[in-house]
Amino acid sequence: MMDWSWTELQALGVKAASGAQVPPAQALAFGAMLARHLADEGDEAPVLRALEAPDTIVALAHAVERLVEAASISPAGTASTREGDAGRRALLVSWLNGLPCRSEVSVAGDTVRAMLSLVEPSTRARPVRIAVSQRLADALHDLAARTYVPDSAASRAGGAGAGLMELD
Amino acid sequence: MKDIVPEPVELRNPQEVMRLARMGVMMPTRISFLRSLVRRLCAEKARITRTHWQMCEAGFGRAVYSVTLGGHVYSLVAISNDLPGEARSDRVIATAWDAAFVLFDGVPGADDIDRIAAQAPLQEAGRFGPRDLVLSRANKSVRMWDNIVAALRAGTQPDRAMIRDIGYLMRTTAVYGNGKFGIADRHLVQDRPGLSGPFAVEMLAVYMIRHFTLDLVQHVGGGALDRALARHLGIGNATGLGMAPFLVTHPVLLNNWMLARETALGRARAVPDLAPEAQAHVAGLARRAAAHLAEWHVPGPEDDSLLRTLEADWARFAPRFDDLSGTDPLDRLWQAAQGETPALQELLAALLIEAVPEAVDGLTECMADPFGPLVAPFEDTDDLRTAIARDWAWALEQDHADPALCRRFWYVSMAKLEPRLGDRFQEPGAELETPLDIARRVAALHCDLPDAPGRVSDFLALHPEHAHAVNRVAVLRRYPYAEIRDSLIAATCRPIDMLRCKLSFFGATKFDPKSDLWTRITLAQGAPLGDELSPENEDWWLPVLG
Repeated sequence: MMDWSWTELQALGVKAASGAQVPPAQALAFGAMLARHLADEGDEAPVLRALEAPDTIVALAHAVERLVEAASISPAGTASTREGDAGRRALLVSWLNGLPCRSEVSVAGDTVRAMLSLVEPSTRARPVRIAVSQRLADALHDLAARTYVPDSAASRAGGAGAGLMELD
Repeated sequence: MKDIVPEPVELRNPQEVMRLARMGVMMPTRISFLRSLVRRLCAEKARITRTHWQMCEAGFGRAVYSVTLGGHVYSLVAISNDLPGEARSDRVIATAWDAAFVLFDGVPGADDIDRIAAQAPLQEAGRFGPRDLVLSRANKSVRMWDNIVAALRAGTQPDRAMIRDIGYLMRTTAVYGNGKFGIADRHLVQDRPGLSGPFAVEMLAVYMIRHFTLDLVQHVGGGALDRALARHLGIGNATGLGMAPFLVTHPVLLNNWMLARETALGRARAVPDLAPEAQAHVAGLARRAAAHLAEWHVPGPEDDSLLRTLEADWARFAPRFDDLSGTDPLDRLWQAAQGETPALQELLAALLIEAVPEAVDGLTECMADPFGPLVAPFEDTDDLRTAIARDWAWALEQDHADPALCRRFWYVSMAKLEPRLGDRFQEPGAELETPLDIARRVAALHCDLPDAPGRVSDFLALHPEHAHAVNRVAVLRRYPYAEIRDSLIAATCRPIDMLRCKLSFFGATKFDPKSDLWTRITLAQGAPLGDELSPENEDWWLPVLG
């Protein structure tokens, strides 16, 4: 296992999801979910499965959109949804716990219930370090690499500072 | 505070403020991050102490400096290397530097120093831990360095004009914080006194690096620099494209910076009158600004011409400061500047903010974003459409298919994992574009919205690619200064304008653009030295050597 900072894990999660062809908003949210999920010692297996089937990530993002929308018009700020797959359910819980707003999430059977206070900040603590397995780290790096553009003569010539010689 | 903080006048419209052309002429203010950090150090009468010194006569080796801020001790570990001249480069693709630094949480033991000495020179290729708060590196200004060393060895003082023109001994080429390469996340220190502001820990590192450079040159030169000259030596920085996307990817933070600045300006303009000594102070600030401009020269002829124009415009405007009696004196100045250039207006804005410390200093507590966006969803697609029509008219008016308006694309380079800017019609890689094309995305979202109102989540189920634009519209609805009102992929987009905006919030002076893509700047020029940190020395806005 490797120890990572929250920020580097979240940032790499965003890049990995982007590399898996997940649209930008959902990739951003996936990064936040990933850091929360592993910080809470969640299972890595559903993360790896989601990255292999990026429609899962888009579907989870959509489920959260619906929950947030429903909670916003609920007098108690609550909403619920059903998710039959245990791994996806775990990711959904982490997604909700990783939102910037205050959230209380509970699971009963295959039902995920959330109380969201959309204008109050989350008070959930973040750890000093997050443990990441080599397997997940490799998967994240491999996917992230798909977003990088190889150098070309034009990019080298047009880079900031290209051709710089004077040093004062 | 209630008695001395005036209700601000109406703030400037974000449509006016959040334009690249205006952001590209912004100036440092007293609520800039380095300035507020030094103010805090001054308030605490902090002292930087050298706790470790293992340096050869030529100035290569290790040093550690410690300072107490808000009850916590922080230490700069500095590693000075013998760098061959041909290896010295300011580009982010460099792999070796004159010096490498880590700001450490606490006092490092021998093992910590050994570890940092092994890792810090590797920079991005190294691995760091949660007690490492900031990672940085710097290159010497060889001309300045050699001149000072030679002068001190000869028992004299260095060339004053060269100090005025260069203004630093070393230039940092990166200052990494917030979790990069394993260093501590910001959330680990953001609640500590003195470090709650944006980039506070990075600014502490920069200030201590400046202290180290002064110490080192005096060690190598074997003599003491005149204090006034030493004070005018800040720390340089070379900044390129990597910094620019930050303003787009952190919209709430951008809003909070700009809102604090605009509120500060609004409070200054609302001051009902000035006592005679305050009038004299404001007039003195205007003279100082003129002197600073006169000392600010850059090699690039076009940029220097802009500076000379500003200098002349400021001289023409200066008589306005002669009579600041009567009511609303600062707002009168502001109103008088409305026909002037954005560059003069932004200089004046910084001056007015400087003039009213009691009214604005508390705003530095509001400039961080510890939470992320807290936004409510749209009621339905009509609500979303209304928000777009109200807040994004500038984006809807653009023809995003026009090649000139979409020529650029932002991407991350495989070689260095750094942001770059390409030409989508000339270079490969546009399919891997980083989503900074916010205006184009919001316009596309607007086109696809259904005629009949419906739930936004239903719309996004059909169009998940629009979720990013929906989020940006929601953020801008709550955070009015969160978005730059220009296309960032237009052929005319100058990343240097984004750099200038961000660096002005850091407190940078002496902007020295080298192209549209990168700039050199100076930080901490004129700031009190490490043994001068006390409240009477915290007035160093726009330093002048004379």
